[in-house]
Amino acid sequence: MSELTVDKRDVEDVTLLYPKGFINAHTVRLFEGEIREAIQQGRYKIVVNCSGLSYIASAGLGAIMGAIEEIRGGGGDLRLASLNDTVRNIFEILGFNHLYRIYPSEMDAILSFARDGGTGS
Amino acid sequence: MRPALVLTVPSETSFLGLVREVTRKMAETAGFDLGTADQLALAVDEAATNVIEHAYGGASDREVEIRLEDRGPDFKVEVVDSGNTVDPRAVPDVDLGRYVKERRTGGLGMHLMEKIMDSVTFRRSAGRNVCRLVKRKAAVARGR
Repeated sequence: MSELTVDKRDVEDVTLLYPKGFINAHTVRLFEGEIREAIQQGRYKIVVNCSGLSYIASAGLGAIMGAIEEIRGGGGDLRLASLNDTVRNIFEILGFNHLYRIYPSEMDAILSFARDGGTGS
Repeated sequence: MRPALVLTVPSETSFLGLVREVTRKMAETAGFDLGTADQLALAVDEAATNVIEHAYGGASDREVEIRLEDRGPDFKVEVVDSGNTVDPRAVPDVDLGRYVKERRTGGLGMHLMEKIMDSVTFRRSAGRNVCRLVKRKAAVARGR
């Protein structure tokens, strides 16, 4: 089994990423590449659906941090949905829950863009 | 007798998954709940990543030794390498707001390790670098 796969689909102007497996120093390039591809295509509204993500190490958090200013500068945001307890806990340890918007479900995250136009906090 | 285990892996990031799994199993065996065992595994993943990326500068033909030990009142993990000595105190405190502004991504691993463990220490021993991570069981029981 692959350690990480990242499926992607677009729902109108929102790009959904589905990392499945784990993100650490070994697998982060794939995850980072998908974020960069969305940015290059001018798709700045990104939802990372974490339901298939078993854990994320600092390399993965760094990939998000490294892209967030550009995403928000482009008028969008990167939002997270469906975190399991392990991943949520890591976000909370680092205080990422104050920097990024986290939603219980993918639909909640998609609808949040419709409500506020996508401007990041 | 309480379990102790020494695991030696090549300095390749592809082995981080194995290091994580072994650490998690050992932590569970030592009596930590699953959530805490996951955190301990992450801390060890971060320590091993630091060795591969910094002490060995990305070279994949070296060795990383992981020593895990249930010492009763606490759980100790040492991550040992024979690479360059990297001064961990050179890593500045993480100010997340500033990190985002400056698009900085380094130092997060060290920050995570210190948040998760009760102590993180570095020493030089017999020509090798030793990063020691300790988690007290009582600290977990108190809800830390």
